[in-house]
Amino acid sequence: MIENVLHSAIVMTTPVLLAAIGGLVNRIGGIVNIGLDSMMLGGALIAIILASQTGSWGVALVGAAGVGALLGLLMSLCVTRLKADEIIVGLGFNILVAGLVRFFLKTAYGSSGTLRLPDVARLPRIEIPVIADIPYLGAILSGHDPLTWAAWILVPVTVWFLRRTRLGLRLRAAGAAPQASRALGLSPLRLRDASTVFAGLLAGLAGAYLSIGVVGIFNEGITAGRGFIALAAFYFGRNRPWPTALCALLFGFFDALQIRLQGRGIPAELIQTLPYAMVIVVLTFMAIATRRARALKA
Amino acid sequence: MSAVAAEQSSSRLQAALAIALPLVLAFAGTAVLLGLAGHNPVEVYRLLIVESFGGTRRIAATLSAATPLMLTGLATAIAFRAGAFNVGVEGCVYVGGLAAAYIGFTFVGLPAAILLPLALATGLVVGSLWMLVPGVLKARLDVDEVVTTLMLNFIAISLTAYLVNGPLLAPGSANSATPMVDAAARLPRLMPPSTLNAGFLIAVALLLLYWLWGKRTALGFETRLAGLNPRFATASGIDVPGLIIKMMLLSGAIGGLAGAVHALGNVGRFVSGFSPGYGFAGIAVALLGRGSAIGIFLAAILFGALAASGATIQLFSDVPIEIVNVLQGMVMIFAVARFGWIMSKKRGAA
Repeated sequence: MIENVLHSAIVMTTPVLLAAIGGLVNRIGGIVNIGLDSMMLGGALIAIILASQTGSWGVALVGAAGVGALLGLLMSLCVTRLKADEIIVGLGFNILVAGLVRFFLKTAYGSSGTLRLPDVARLPRIEIPVIADIPYLGAILSGHDPLTWAAWILVPVTVWFLRRTRLGLRLRAAGAAPQASRALGLSPLRLRDASTVFAGLLAGLAGAYLSIGVVGIFNEGITAGRGFIALAAFYFGRNRPWPTALCALLFGFFDALQIRLQGRGIPAELIQTLPYAMVIVVLTFMAIATRRARALKA
Repeated sequence: MSAVAAEQSSSRLQAALAIALPLVLAFAGTAVLLGLAGHNPVEVYRLLIVESFGGTRRIAATLSAATPLMLTGLATAIAFRAGAFNVGVEGCVYVGGLAAAYIGFTFVGLPAAILLPLALATGLVVGSLWMLVPGVLKARLDVDEVVTTLMLNFIAISLTAYLVNGPLLAPGSANSATPMVDAAARLPRLMPPSTLNAGFLIAVALLLLYWLWGKRTALGFETRLAGLNPRFATASGIDVPGLIIKMMLLSGAIGGLAGAVHALGNVGRFVSGFSPGYGFAGIAVALLGRGSAIGIFLAAILFGALAASGATIQLFSDVPIEIVNVLQGMVMIFAVARFGWIMSKKRGAA
């Protein structure tokens, strides 16, 4: 039972972690991405269609990443070039893409909401010999797919990228001091666009993970607000990759636990509210701490 | 024409263009989508107009669908005006709707003159209290209200889903819904058999009050000032944090009322998935209406018409009703996009 929960906690973490890393990089570049959920939904749909038609999970992932990146680019251009408010545009994208997806499902497949396709190529699982047999550790490390590994490898890579690379520094400058970065001859808008494209790409993969990694069917509610949970994770992790990842893991654990606890007297709906409530609490404590620090200085 | 008059008419033209452009772009974008899906966009739009405005019954259906949107649009606009970016009206619709329904099916036997106002007031108060935390956090600690109100939406949806699946589930009912409210708690129908009810009159009255409030009262002026330039407002002796809390509470109250009107006027109870995104559509309504009373009224009617006719054209033709969501999302995106740079470029070239 504990091993099962541990394993499915890691599984449920992957989509949130992927989208959260994307959103984190996006936010450091200066855009709060409320549209992550729409990019996940688009990615999930394309992934299952391609996985069924081509029989290749690799093609499906590339397609999902491409759709997410395209949605990210469109959203970013609205914000950076048309000076649209990022929050409204993000909410607009969520409504628009949800509508488009359902419109497409009805028009192309005559189905409302759910899409079952034959021969969906699922993500392969990587069994690690020896470790797979060790109690607990085997459940945590073995039997996961490439996307899960990629998501966790991305965490230290993001730390390194933001801290040690020239591009990472420029991205931070574009987000924190766009005018100064423009004065240095950089193009903060282009960097911002690139960061949103990256966020969309990862969110698209997160969606693909849900449709061809976890269940193998597509449903219009497949994201279940995970784009917003990802938002919660990087707010909670205060834009730092490791705390963000831990947060995604915590939410993944809640998710796994809630599935386990169904029918055991603890209402799943109440557990679902926890990530969201935690964000409000953390933001409050952060604000109080900032205020105290300011009061000490004065 | 004198130079001043010419300038005035050109600025008025620009204002009209600013309102019309998002609509034109959204309809054009949707037309492309319809064309790609093999429908004739002109025919679909003609059907939409006929189905929403052709005849008294259809107009009544449109106004009925527009009622919750007028309220959520107003709720959003009030917070925006004070400079608070409230995206949590959806949550208020949920908690307000459930609270009003609870009163409506619990205190059965009370006369309508007491029960109906009581249920409406409860929805209003609960919606208002739902915005207390983000309002206070924003005003006193400068906590980003966008994030807190967005998170509260999800909490409201899950919390109400828990309540209608557990403690408040109608006895003997398998689907997650409360019992029907007492007949005395129903908002009276204005034109039966249409669902148009007294909630429409409440919404119009509130929009009128909003218009008067913005024009004639000191509080309305102070609120606008605080929204436009909080530092100047503070320097002029206005208590900006206090104002933000007040306006967030007011915004939540109207959002809660929207839920109450939907529960007591249309649905007759609270069911899970209660609001088809009224709170989010309210943001589009407030933006498209540029925060003015008449603008909100017209934008709500537009979206109400789309919702009402979208359902019927799905029956007559095979155009999916989701076309309404597509239009809504596009309006939202284009309403905040500034196309000014295109014009300024052209002017520079001339």
